[in-house]
Amino acid sequence: MSRLNSGRPLARAALLVALALALAVPIAVRAASTVTAQEVEEGLTCQCGCGLTVANCNHPNCEFSVPARDQIEAMLHRGMTGPQVIAFFRHKYGEKILSAPTTTGFNLLAWVMPFAALLGGGIFVAVALGRWRAHPDIPAPAPEPNTASGGDDELRRRLERDLREGF
Amino acid sequence: MPLIGQLALALALILAVYSIIANVVGARRSIPTLLASARHAIWAYCAMVTVAVAALVISLLRSDFSLEYVASYTSYSLPTFYKITALWGGQQGSLLLWTWLLSLFTAIAAFQNRRRNPEIAPYALATLAAVAIFFLGMLNFVTRPFDMLAAVARDGQDLNPLLQNYWMAIHPPSLYTGYVSASVPFAFASGALITGRLDDAWIRSTRRWAIFSWFFLTLGNLFGARWAYEVLGWGGYWAWDPVENAAFMPWLVMTAYLHSVMIQERKDMLKVWNLALIGMAFGLTLFGTFITRSGVISSVHSFTQSGLGPYFLTFLIVVVAVYAALLIWRLPKLRSPAEFESYLSREAAFLFNNLILVGIAFAVFWGTLFPVLSEAVRGVKITVGPPFFDTVNAPLALGLIFLMGFGPLIAWRRSSLDSLAKTFASPAIFGLVTGACAFVAGLRQWYVLAALSLGAFVLGTIVVEFRRGVGARRHLVHESAPAALVNLVAKNNRRYGGYIIHIGVVMAFVGIVASSFFRTEIKKSVHEGEFFQVGPYSLQYLGIETTETPHVETSRARIEVRRDGKPIAMMLPAKLFFKRNQQPATAVAIRSTPAADLYVVLAGMDDQTGLVTFQVFLTPLVFWLWAGGVVMAFGTVIAMWPNVRERAAIAASLRAAAETPAVDEPLRRRA
Repeated sequence: MSRLNSGRPLARAALLVALALALAVPIAVRAASTVTAQEVEEGLTCQCGCGLTVANCNHPNCEFSVPARDQIEAMLHRGMTGPQVIAFFRHKYGEKILSAPTTTGFNLLAWVMPFAALLGGGIFVAVALGRWRAHPDIPAPAPEPNTASGGDDELRRRLERDLREGF
Repeated sequence: MPLIGQLALALALILAVYSIIANVVGARRSIPTLLASARHAIWAYCAMVTVAVAALVISLLRSDFSLEYVASYTSYSLPTFYKITALWGGQQGSLLLWTWLLSLFTAIAAFQNRRRNPEIAPYALATLAAVAIFFLGMLNFVTRPFDMLAAVARDGQDLNPLLQNYWMAIHPPSLYTGYVSASVPFAFASGALITGRLDDAWIRSTRRWAIFSWFFLTLGNLFGARWAYEVLGWGGYWAWDPVENAAFMPWLVMTAYLHSVMIQERKDMLKVWNLALIGMAFGLTLFGTFITRSGVISSVHSFTQSGLGPYFLTFLIVVVAVYAALLIWRLPKLRSPAEFESYLSREAAFLFNNLILVGIAFAVFWGTLFPVLSEAVRGVKITVGPPFFDTVNAPLALGLIFLMGFGPLIAWRRSSLDSLAKTFASPAIFGLVTGACAFVAGLRQWYVLAALSLGAFVLGTIVVEFRRGVGARRHLVHESAPAALVNLVAKNNRRYGGYIIHIGVVMAFVGIVASSFFRTEIKKSVHEGEFFQVGPYSLQYLGIETTETPHVETSRARIEVRRDGKPIAMMLPAKLFFKRNQQPATAVAIRSTPAADLYVVLAGMDDQTGLVTFQVFLTPLVFWLWAGGVVMAFGTVIAMWPNVRERAAIAASLRAAAETPAVDEPLRRRA
């Protein structure tokens, strides 16, 4: 038990690091992407009412997505960067054309909140488990030897006990 | 017929109100005859709603265009099959279907509990009837399916062409069945809170209902995805539309619930959390209906301009407030002995599994509502689309898949590092080798490598668990390996059904990841007889045939698919034109194999030049998404199958509950 207790701060730290990494990964993924016409189209919402991105609009003769795709292709061909093309469309149609919120100002809340909630939930769960372990409401029974040590026989015995009621 | 239908709905409303009064008074004063009368009222209200449904279906089949609903969603030329499915093609009909399913499930619950759960059942049935009263109130006073037109229409406006598809025939009923059946565990949880019977009797009594709900939510989501794949013609199956999100969220929360109840059943912990989860799941089903019908958030789905939003929002707020108040009222009695020994235990793994599932549900909820928040705070309308949901949920999905392999194999209470190393060595090596093979094969996307490795790890853990189970059984009863495998699953169906579901989830996950990362798309305009290449396939356009029925005009292209010079398939993508409502639609052609789907859309035809344009998608491994769905369904059926041991456990639980006084004795005995 003492060995387990000494590992608690480490476990919590590991949990925090894992959750922080989870927070950082999506931002890193977004930053690392190289921009192609397809990705620019994925970044813009079609304005025909289909609810899909310009890349995925399902209307073959869509009045918005078809010319928009041609325009994006041409702009990239002329040497404009992906962000410049997206900025052009944003200037023309407003923020609603972006298929995801920006990562500045109030919109940052959209990105941060899910991970903040997860982090908060993770801390809550970790603290609750830690408290239950430190001060169990009822005395814990003696540990089952077959779950605390290794060995195929022990694992099999544990499973047999789990399954016995079913036989 | 309309008069019969309207009258039946009015009677159903009266009977539902009576059943609540009779159930509550009968329970409080312990009057068995009144409780029996309440049950009869429930069965009668179910019969009345059935009559109303039959009346509407008959009106649809007869093309009775004196009815506004029939005239709005059908036409003379609409095929009979779709005249029936038009029952859920419009606002009023879909609400009627919802109410009918609710009445059926309430009637079944009343029958199941006529001799058991004498304390909880009356309040649970009253809760279900209260929900029904809201829907019957809508159908009687706000959005009436039997409203008549001032003058009989000469023909109807026809069903939306996008709904004239067999997947739409089964997607809404499946989803509604999942939504509505979640009401039963919720109602029993409410009954447990009202009566103070806070042991796990309500969980055991409704376990099969919860799995049933999860099963249909799974099917409903998959059928919807398949419909989008086949009908919308963009090569994808999930667009994170608000209505899709609304169907996904209860599935996530119900999945969390099905895992966390195991901790309560096993260790008598997490009572508050389980009650909260089932409340959340039910609340999210109402939220989904609110989203679909309120128009608050723009969606490609129908009903959004219905004006029912305020009613649903009010009902949702009342339900959440009352349930939360009950939960807070009972909090002091819900404290359970918390026995926890180690982070390296199945309890901890399940709790983190719950955290991630609810975390994903929250992320989806947050992303769905953020446009409304943005407009309210900044006055700026924004879109929260696939890039947001993909980016936020992708890392969480990896964590979930990891726990899916880790949780089931780790011991309850605590495990040592030695036993973990023994247990997970083979699956971990299998996962790493799979990732390494994928890397050697040329894959470089870290997410794909992680997904494949984790998928292989989970499959490895399941194989280990089956192998161990068969070994244990052979050791105990000396059976042959095949017999041991069959008996292992049959006699421990909940456990091994769950593992089979996990296999299905891994298959679906791999299908989703591969199809999202490696889909290729080309658009090609060709003349008749010309070839074009898509991946390993050579496609030759052979011409267009036009056919016509009174209902629809079809232009169908013929494309011969060759591989290595040999013809392997004829694909027939088409453009449809629905005459009555003058709307075009697309019928895609799909050649599906385990390796990849070849997906062809007839995108355009130029009569002057003779050029025909095709949009072709080559999507690897998407087959495994649907195959995974089938495996999940199979596993769920196994997990739901009646089991002698489980029946005995339920009976024991109910006996124990009957012998223990409730927390709130006066409520029960105040006669």
